[in-house]
Amino acid sequence: MNNNKPKILTANEASKIVESSVIKRRKKDARLKTYGRIAIGLAVSFLIFLFVSIFSKGIPGFFQYYVTLDVYLDRDRLDPKGDLSPVSLYNGDARSIVIESLYKVINPKGRKEKKAAKKIISTNADVRISKMVLDDPNILGKTIPITFAVDDDIDSFLRGYIKRDTPSSERRINDTVIKFVDKLSAENRISYKFSDYILTGSASRSPEIAGIKGAFIGSMLTLAVCFIIAFPLGVATAVYLEEFAPKNRITEIIEVNINNLAAVPSVVFGILGLAIFIGIFGMPRSIPLLGGMVLALMTLPTIIISSRAAIRAVPPSIKDAAYGIGASKLQTIFHHVLPLAMPGMLTGTIIGMAQALGETAPLLMIGMVAFIVDIPGGVTDPGTVLPVQIFMWADFAERMFIQKTSSAIIVLLVFLIFMNAAAVILRKKLERRW
Amino acid sequence: MVINSNINNVKTKTIGEIFSKDPKIICRHVDVFYGDKQAIKDVSIDISSREIISFIGPSGCGKSTFLRCLNRMNDTIDTCKVKGTILLDKDDIYDEKIDVVPLRAKIGMVFQKPNPFPKSIYENVAYGPRIHGLSSSKEELDFIVENSLKDSGLWQEVKDRLNSPGTGLSGGQQQRLCIARAIAVSPEIILMDEPCSALDPIATAKIEELINQLGKNYSIVIVTHSMQQAARISQRTAYFHLGELIEVGETKKIFTRPKDKQTEAYISGRIG
Repeated sequence: MNNNKPKILTANEASKIVESSVIKRRKKDARLKTYGRIAIGLAVSFLIFLFVSIFSKGIPGFFQYYVTLDVYLDRDRLDPKGDLSPVSLYNGDARSIVIESLYKVINPKGRKEKKAAKKIISTNADVRISKMVLDDPNILGKTIPITFAVDDDIDSFLRGYIKRDTPSSERRINDTVIKFVDKLSAENRISYKFSDYILTGSASRSPEIAGIKGAFIGSMLTLAVCFIIAFPLGVATAVYLEEFAPKNRITEIIEVNINNLAAVPSVVFGILGLAIFIGIFGMPRSIPLLGGMVLALMTLPTIIISSRAAIRAVPPSIKDAAYGIGASKLQTIFHHVLPLAMPGMLTGTIIGMAQALGETAPLLMIGMVAFIVDIPGGVTDPGTVLPVQIFMWADFAERMFIQKTSSAIIVLLVFLIFMNAAAVILRKKLERRW
Repeated sequence: MVINSNINNVKTKTIGEIFSKDPKIICRHVDVFYGDKQAIKDVSIDISSREIISFIGPSGCGKSTFLRCLNRMNDTIDTCKVKGTILLDKDDIYDEKIDVVPLRAKIGMVFQKPNPFPKSIYENVAYGPRIHGLSSSKEELDFIVENSLKDSGLWQEVKDRLNSPGTGLSGGQQQRLCIARAIAVSPEIILMDEPCSALDPIATAKIEELINQLGKNYSIVIVTHSMQQAARISQRTAYFHLGELIEVGETKKIFTRPKDKQTEAYISGRIG
């Protein structure tokens, strides 16, 4: 049995005990540091992996293969009515003019070969010619070299995704087409350059002409609506709850529920939007206005919570000073509290917006997943958004959509980084503590 | 509405002279509660025009709470309730019809910690006159700002940098800026809540000198922990203890011949 009677330690004994515990404590510190480093290392390596995989796939997605052909722009065939109207050009025969100029280069023999040759050029070639003619009618009647996007299968072949040594029956393009493509590259007619379509085109089933402009503009419009609704509402709620609301049961319940709302899965807000905005109010689906409203519902709790925190962080001494000099409550809030809280509120809002920008699920619920070729011109035109576009492209079977998906992800990431940078800059600028 | 005849007919435990011949503020039977806790118990006192009166007492004795009743700064605390009568020029300041905005313009306040707005020096002083509409032109506002800064003894130090931030000044300068801000709205009374407790002795000396100057034109109520300060600057002194006003009187008398034992113990340093 030890003698466990408590006693007062001498200075010498105490210092020995302290010394031995110091070694233990140091070891603990070192261990904690190591864990921290491992965690950061893991996070950074995942991030690097993510970026490498997205950028290695996505950067080539911004480029694509083109074929240059000398096209004789026959006035009568292109513009049958002769009035240079879009309708007339649409009724024209641009497609066969392009095909004919292709035949001149590769000389297909027989019906089979001709059919195969038609596959080489993107279906969009006629639209391109119509556009060129509309821009500059003087080119009619001349022979000029024009570059056309090649079909997505040819593109994949040129990139090496479709292999030459795969048996013909298992390839998406047959030997005849490969022969023609070889001939075109031998004549230096094939070029690889920055895509005309990825940033300026809209949704399409043909991946070579699909672009993200429609989705990008849809995202901007949706976010604009979301901001216009959520920011004033969120700030007003935060100001009321912080400065005016009596502290009682009801405000407590409201507070708890706002915090709960922030954690509600976003898809639930989509269903809410579907049930209320579409079901009860009969709003048209797929429009950015509706998307923005649903995202505003989702962003509101984030904005309210961060705004309240920002308002609470305003030093009470400043409020005292304002009250002490005879400012009314409203004056105190508008002249002193809000300006001081603004950086925090804006940061919270931009974080909420960034969240909304990347949101897919609630928008699927309200029909923003529709296949819409037109670029939305306003908040009431049907449209889609970037993350939904990514979701749709990831679902398509065509090989080229793999790169396009990654390209769209890059655009989304750049958009996000830009927004976050804006948040940081705004914060720095407004937070100029006098 | 106020019955003048019995205003000086008060039963109080307070020792000394609570009345004044020329009262600016009259407090009668003031009780203050924070929730259930009573912070001020039955305080009655007059504050004269153009006098400097200091409130002394140990920490937590309620002197700051009482000070904050005088311009209704306690309104900002939800749980705080004030009972009794406080008259400013014979108007009850806790009357429902009284608006706190003009009241606080009449009774300025300077706080313990210098709290200039995070704006320029000029804006700090101009804010009060601007919200109360005391100036109709830029020239008038400039004049008010210049005068207030001169009265607070800050003009010479800041006249070349009126647009630089008020928070960039030293602690003592910031406190004088806060005084300038308070006098810019031409108050009649200035309440000071330990205005020197965050300052070094040199800055304190400047503020004290300034308070002496201002005492010629304003009533000044100052809460202080420094008995020397109270002795140096005030004409009257009130000693608070545990929410009660124990003794009031001429500063000289309080410090030389206190009538109450508690007061004596406090000023001789035995409690507090």
